[in-house]
Amino acid sequence: MATDDKRPRIGEEMAKMPAEPLLPIEKKLIAGSLIVGVLLLALLVWTGNSALSPTP
Amino acid sequence: MAQQAAAARELATSPGAPVWSEDWLAVVAGFAIFLLALGPLAGFDLLGWATGPRTWVEIGQAVRPASPAYAAVGAPALIAATYLFVLILMSIGATLMGASIGRFVLGFTVVYWLAYLAWVIGSYAAIAATTPAEMARLGIGWSLRLTGEAGYLIALILGLAIANLWPGLARALYPAARPELYIKTAIVILGGFLAVKAAEQVSLASTLMARGLAAIVEAYLIYWAVVYFIARKWFGFSREWAVPLASGISICGVSAAIATAGAIRARPLVPIMVSSLVVVFAMVELLMLPFVARALFADEPLLAGAWMGLAVKTDGAAVASGAITEALIYGDAAARGIKWSPGWVVGTTTTIKVFIDIFIGVWSFILAYLWTRHIEPRPAGAAFGAAAIWQRFPKFVLGFLATFLIVLAIGLAASPPVLKTVDAAMGQANVFRQLFFLLTFLSIGLLGDVRQLWQEGIGKLAAVYVVSLFGFVIWVGLLISWLFFHGLRPPLAS
Repeated sequence: MATDDKRPRIGEEMAKMPAEPLLPIEKKLIAGSLIVGVLLLALLVWTGNSALSPTP
Repeated sequence: MAQQAAAARELATSPGAPVWSEDWLAVVAGFAIFLLALGPLAGFDLLGWATGPRTWVEIGQAVRPASPAYAAVGAPALIAATYLFVLILMSIGATLMGASIGRFVLGFTVVYWLAYLAWVIGSYAAIAATTPAEMARLGIGWSLRLTGEAGYLIALILGLAIANLWPGLARALYPAARPELYIKTAIVILGGFLAVKAAEQVSLASTLMARGLAAIVEAYLIYWAVVYFIARKWFGFSREWAVPLASGISICGVSAAIATAGAIRARPLVPIMVSSLVVVFAMVELLMLPFVARALFADEPLLAGAWMGLAVKTDGAAVASGAITEALIYGDAAARGIKWSPGWVVGTTTTIKVFIDIFIGVWSFILAYLWTRHIEPRPAGAAFGAAAIWQRFPKFVLGFLATFLIVLAIGLAASPPVLKTVDAAMGQANVFRQLFFLLTFLSIGLLGDVRQLWQEGIGKLAAVYVVSLFGFVIWVGLLISWLFFHGLRPPLAS
């Protein structure tokens, strides 16, 4: 258990975490992902209701 | 956190690991069982001795072999043979992974028999019997109607009890508590089992796969972006923490957290700490969501299965949730006189999970590109290339695809009698698939020492997880599952 005492603890690591504001590229990643994701889902819903239905 | 961190290290598929990684071992072990199970196609009964429980009232009648050809052999010999086979297979794997073989054999023996005990208890008629006809045949007037898969829940609770009441014993069992190895092996075996179903219902299977594509979009483009935003903006996490956290909550738990942390060059301790949290929350979901699905979607089992694949993190917990959901919903339906063909719910969950897993490497590549070019530019020569995508690709998926495609090809070309033989062959493999599921459940429970994790100061990480999971992931997953799987039902059992 001695080695356990030297191990970093989650609480300590959280306290040491630096403040990092969101960069423009991160904002683009988030917004881009959401826009593309919603559009693709809409496309899949549309195709799902027409081409991807099981045939009897 | 020592226990979860150590466990997470063991769970993790190291991106730089040599050939005998956990994923490759799962492929080899699962494929070996699959090939032996195909014996009846060549006239050999190689796995018919594999023995598991059936629904029982008298303990003396609790187990039976997969093939009637072995019915005359005594149950103790068959049970021992099944144990020795799995022990040898997993011990070879543990040796190739560099584990201490003595500790593994000892731990595995305890884990195996506890899991088997849970399986037998879960198959007791008052717990497992589903239909009025079955209850009448067994001479009982009432049952919980959970099917034999109640054993999974019992194994999980047993593991949790050990982890939280006897942590010393849980630590001693860690070398054998490998939920990701067990579930990946089970998934490789499951490929053949699902292919038989797909060969019988090609149109429905194709539809489920096509609609499963939505899961990829949802996990990577919707979940990840929102969780990353919540972690960064609302909780003030640094990028090093927010990336593995978003991946762990959104994509596929441990593997995704480790792969994407590597892609942005986070310190190794970060994904390990995140993984600890993922394992605990996956267990909470596993205990909760199948019962919610049962209450909400008694007539929509495939929708419920898809939801488990989208909402529950880590392969083990997700596929296990699908299995429990199937047991719960099928049990209720059987009482109403509806008997759906088995395997479709867990098959839907597995398809969703496998589809999501496939893109972990690609997503890691995209993050590595963005970080290298725009956030933390690296020196020349430190680029993240195609080889790294392959390194992060979950190899067990190849095993799943191989068993699925082989059986599908045989099934589509086969005459009805041959298809019946293939079905029986996969039934033999299914005994081991269920065994590996049980080992997964017990192992997940063993790794769930919630109290110690809390003492380590997990609060802020857990807060992001709670907000994301219960405020967003579960409900968006529900909406997407409804959009894509509403109205699709499994075929009735023949």
